[in-house]
Amino acid sequence: MADSIEAIQKAKKTYLLVFGALLVGTVLTVLVATVPALDVGGHGFDIYDAILGLVIATTKSTLVAAIFMHLNHEKKLIYWVFFGAIFFFFTMGALFALSESSPIYDTFFYK
Amino acid sequence: MEIPYIVNARKDTGLINSKIAIWLFLASEVMLFAGFFSAYVYLRMGADYPWPERTLPVLPGLINTFILIASSVTVVFAWVALKLGNWRQFQIYMGITVACAAIFMVFKGIEYNVKFHHQAARLHDYTVVEGHLGYQKDDKEEYVLDRNGKKIEENRIRVVAEKLTFSVKRFHAPWVNEMLSEAEHAKSSIRLIADIKAIISEGGEEETIAKAGEVLSIELLEKIKQVQLDALAHNSALRTDALRMEWKEAKLANPSKRGWQLSSDVNIDMAALSPRLLTEISTVEFTVDPPTRLLFKPRDIKEGAASSTLRDATVITGAMEASPMVFHNLDAIDFQWLVMKAKEKGISPESAIANSWLMKNSKFVREAWTWHIARNENRQAQLTKGYGLKEDGKTPKRTLTHKELYRLGWKDLGEMGVEMQQVKIGGLDKIKEEFMGPNYKARGDKTFPHLSVPREEIRHAAKFTPAWNTYYAIYFTITGLHGLHVVGGALVLLYYLVLGRKMFLSNPEWFANRVEVGGLFWHFVDLVWIFAFPIFYLM
Amino acid sequence: MSAHAAAPSGHDHSHDDHHHEIPFWKKYIFSTDHKMIGMQYGITAMLFLAFGFYLMMVMRWSIAYPHQALPEWMSWIFTDSWKARWLQDGKVTGETYNMFGAMHGTIMVFLGIVPLGFGAFGNYVTPLQIGAVDMAFPKLNMVSYWVYLAGGLIMCASFFMESGAAKSGWTNYSPLAGFADGQIVNQWLAGQTQWLLGLICLITSSLLGSVNFITTIINLRARGMTWMRLPFFVWAMLVTGFLLLLAFPPLEAAGIMQLMDRVGHSSFFMPSGLFTKSEGLADLSGGGSPLLFQHLFWFLGHPEVYVLLLPAIACVAEIIPVNTRKPLWGYKSMVYSLLILGFLSFIVWAHHMYMTGMGAAVSTFFQTTTVLISIPSVIIITALLISLWGGSIRFTPPMLWACAFIPMFGIGGLTGLPLAFNLVGLHLHDTYYVIGHFHYVVAPGILFGLFAGVYHWYPKITGRYMSGFLSHVHFWPSLVCMNIIFFPMLTQGMAGFHRRWYNGGDAYLDKATAATADGANVFANTVAQNIDLNIVMSYGAWILAVAQIPFIINLFLAWKFGKKVSSDNPWDATTLEWATPTPPGHGNFTFDVAVYRGPYEYSRPDCDKDYYPQWEAPKNKTQASAYESTDKGHH
Repeated sequence: MADSIEAIQKAKKTYLLVFGALLVGTVLTVLVATVPALDVGGHGFDIYDAILGLVIATTKSTLVAAIFMHLNHEKKLIYWVFFGAIFFFFTMGALFALSESSPIYDTFFYK
Repeated sequence: MEIPYIVNARKDTGLINSKIAIWLFLASEVMLFAGFFSAYVYLRMGADYPWPERTLPVLPGLINTFILIASSVTVVFAWVALKLGNWRQFQIYMGITVACAAIFMVFKGIEYNVKFHHQAARLHDYTVVEGHLGYQKDDKEEYVLDRNGKKIEENRIRVVAEKLTFSVKRFHAPWVNEMLSEAEHAKSSIRLIADIKAIISEGGEEETIAKAGEVLSIELLEKIKQVQLDALAHNSALRTDALRMEWKEAKLANPSKRGWQLSSDVNIDMAALSPRLLTEISTVEFTVDPPTRLLFKPRDIKEGAASSTLRDATVITGAMEASPMVFHNLDAIDFQWLVMKAKEKGISPESAIANSWLMKNSKFVREAWTWHIARNENRQAQLTKGYGLKEDGKTPKRTLTHKELYRLGWKDLGEMGVEMQQVKIGGLDKIKEEFMGPNYKARGDKTFPHLSVPREEIRHAAKFTPAWNTYYAIYFTITGLHGLHVVGGALVLLYYLVLGRKMFLSNPEWFANRVEVGGLFWHFVDLVWIFAFPIFYLM
Repeated sequence: MSAHAAAPSGHDHSHDDHHHEIPFWKKYIFSTDHKMIGMQYGITAMLFLAFGFYLMMVMRWSIAYPHQALPEWMSWIFTDSWKARWLQDGKVTGETYNMFGAMHGTIMVFLGIVPLGFGAFGNYVTPLQIGAVDMAFPKLNMVSYWVYLAGGLIMCASFFMESGAAKSGWTNYSPLAGFADGQIVNQWLAGQTQWLLGLICLITSSLLGSVNFITTIINLRARGMTWMRLPFFVWAMLVTGFLLLLAFPPLEAAGIMQLMDRVGHSSFFMPSGLFTKSEGLADLSGGGSPLLFQHLFWFLGHPEVYVLLLPAIACVAEIIPVNTRKPLWGYKSMVYSLLILGFLSFIVWAHHMYMTGMGAAVSTFFQTTTVLISIPSVIIITALLISLWGGSIRFTPPMLWACAFIPMFGIGGLTGLPLAFNLVGLHLHDTYYVIGHFHYVVAPGILFGLFAGVYHWYPKITGRYMSGFLSHVHFWPSLVCMNIIFFPMLTQGMAGFHRRWYNGGDAYLDKATAATADGANVFANTVAQNIDLNIVMSYGAWILAVAQIPFIINLFLAWKFGKKVSSDNPWDATTLEWATPTPPGHGNFTFDVAVYRGPYEYSRPDCDKDYYPQWEAPKNKTQASAYESTDKGHH
């Protein structure tokens, strides 16, 4: 934790930088979704837009988590707890998606 | 007794209690939102209808994102101010944070409110129409008012009740009251058809509970209900005893037989029992004179031509009136779903659209669609010009989306109005539209016309609420829950702001810890929004 | 008081609360003391368990005697009008059976065993065993109890509503649970909605509890209480806490979504084109997925099994070393197994869903993880079994239960193995085999473990022993009856008896020919051959009910008349809860707690007693300084 006065003053600058980065990221994510010239992949919304949008969102949230929530210098225990939850978040989402994408009736009954 | 490590960190873990606790709590919050976001992925992957992508207004969402990010910065600055021992600065920054939360919720409220007043309906041929429900025009060209004199702007089924048959046990008192007040307004009376007679004590004489012609009231129904409940309890106890006796005798007579071998022969001797039973009254009938029009939500009524049944088992005898859904202003025509279904059946989209009820019955829709097709050709030509053709030299590299091809949203209709009808709209009105949706006043009936859809054409109708489709369901659930988090977090921060002075003075280090913990929660709320914004508004 | 406990109590209660009297309501009702909250949890949970047991007896009557009215001794509890509404000529109807079945499961799992294992024992014992003054957040602890009670009452209140309580099974699957009680106009007053509201309360309570537990275990350990000196009980509570923390929220999400389906008419779990007898073609948007609910439910549901199990194993693991006078065999491997078990329990859930039409890839994944998870479970049980080997076993009442736990849980666990394979699942899915399997785990397994805990810690809580005679009268019939009830379920299940038959299979009998059991209807013959087991099982249930009476008598009478303990450490145990006064006061310890060694130091050759408590300072100077160098925990 930034405890000395100088360190805190320095941290304030970082916070402002992150603020700027977050604003830029937000504008960017809107631009790539709405301006046709910046549309990646095909015309309109598709998987590439989804990936790009989520990458920007992940970057932004990483900044928030690392700087604002001080996860860049936190105790090991907290890493375990929080990233454990994040891990299960993705496990859950992935297994849900897997089970939705390969239902048995698609392979046996319909085809 | 004192709990250790509230202010100072434990040496080997390096943490204070509340810091561990908030991170654990956030971990569980992660899993809560994991449930919702997984549900989003699952529902979207498994959707059997065209998922409404990029359908929410981006501008309010964008502003809200800015606000929330700003509040995240100010809350961390407030903590820094505390660390530096500057109470005044803390107050300023924390004040901004709480204000941001309030503004966020106001925008959210506007966004929700617009949706709650926006009606959509899916017809049996999977055409979707959207707009605002208007008044029902009678033959006499008058508004239909409800009993409070308000124009009826809801989706209602209208029944002219001649006779009401209530279920004694299940009647829903608020509905009965509503019927009574409708009848009062129409100057008609609801009266009992026949005497209600019942034996109310074992071996007693038949007594009159209520006389024919008595006026309907909750008290009357409650009185009959009590008679019925008493009779049921009494009769059931008698029958139970009788059944027990029968089984006792049957077992004595056939000691070697199993229960299931005897069961078909063991029956209650109803002839012997019936003199002792009390009268059960399951329904009571009332006439409505003169017949009165009653209005019901479609969900509450199973309508029929001659009689309808309410959810509380009340049967209404009487004709159902034509109850069309009247879009006072139609603001979107959507053939996406219809085309999807047509393609599944191997029908060409063009003929499916041409044969839809909407195209056949609305001149406006036909004109709009002609305009839309022409514009789409133009848009496609531009795309082909801009991005060229694929290697085969025929198919363009970029083609219009399903949504662009088969949906005419309110913005499209607005564009058409400007182009075809020379409708003028001011810049301020345009910005207002970004928040409040289509501006009927400014654009008028020519852009957003009147449309009446007969009841029998409608398969499903709802406001833009969770009931409309799974997209709105998950959108409202996640953003609503997020909103609750915003409110909860803001209340905690407000508490620190208003009542923190004493804590700050007595133990600044501890107070800074508490603000840090509150701030961590606040950042998490921001974090959820960072994902919710692109997922719901941009994808 | 024995010597070691007496020594620290020299500076008795110097900073304690004896200066001012705590008012009654603050001491017994809105208490923030973890011990009182633990007892509140325990009493409430036992009441709920008794209620759940009663519901089961009504169900068992319906299964064994589907055509006969409920006997007087069972139905006296209802009012006449309740009976008129829910019984037909005194017989249990299918609707009522479903209601009792759903509520039996819910009450036993969410309101009975979790609060008893985690809430009661966890609360009472954990802070004592780690040498803490209380939980890290005492007020939060109190709130979590009250939210739990509110949730339980909300759920049970629905029995008296027009709609009755929830009827869609304890799993509450949509779409059934989505439109159940649809005839009720005000959906907030429907039993099915109340179930969801109650569940949301219970989950909130569990979350608060688990945050509190984990924080306490991490941060409030006494000086010298390093991770590998934690008693196994504490480890189990830590893992249980994490399971509750991470597995419950998705169910909360599912509960909120189902609530939206019910009161907001959304279609999260409602498929397109849903047609029901009561509603016709449902007026819903459709497009939702019933399978989504099952995923979210079982994402909790499977870890929940371990939430039930771990506290029971934890009690047994405490009791066995004390009563064998030797260390727990393989303490470290048990701890690691526990951690692996906790982790794996998050990724096995879909083995409850083999019949839903998931693809082969997903099924295979879940089969694999399910088989894998049996490894740590078996390690733990084996370690407990081996712990008995060569011990000088004292058959105290808790030890009886603990010893019975091992084979009973063993049967439960081993009968589960076949169910891990989806091919076997085809045959056994939703049969009584499944019911037999998990009831072996839960009833003679987990409940025996928890009974053991009650007998074990009772002397600490009250200062008196429970009667040995009554505990034998409690134990032996319970052991026999449990097997009479649950073993026939396994055979019936393999014969194809469905778990939701309210009439025990009566409807499937071919009554004209089945008397000879060789009619043309093959399934009817199978049913005829096995249907009489229903009566056997039901008699088992009645006797089991009677067998609990000595326990109840024992529990209350021993409080006043039981034999007094002669010391603060009546079992000669090594863990810290026995270093407190009996019963422990507010703030627990009367001395500055320090821990010098592992939790199960029995029969050490370098110690003159056959046990070496964790808190006893070593006489040997080098040992003492070795300890000092590892001590980082003190502020």
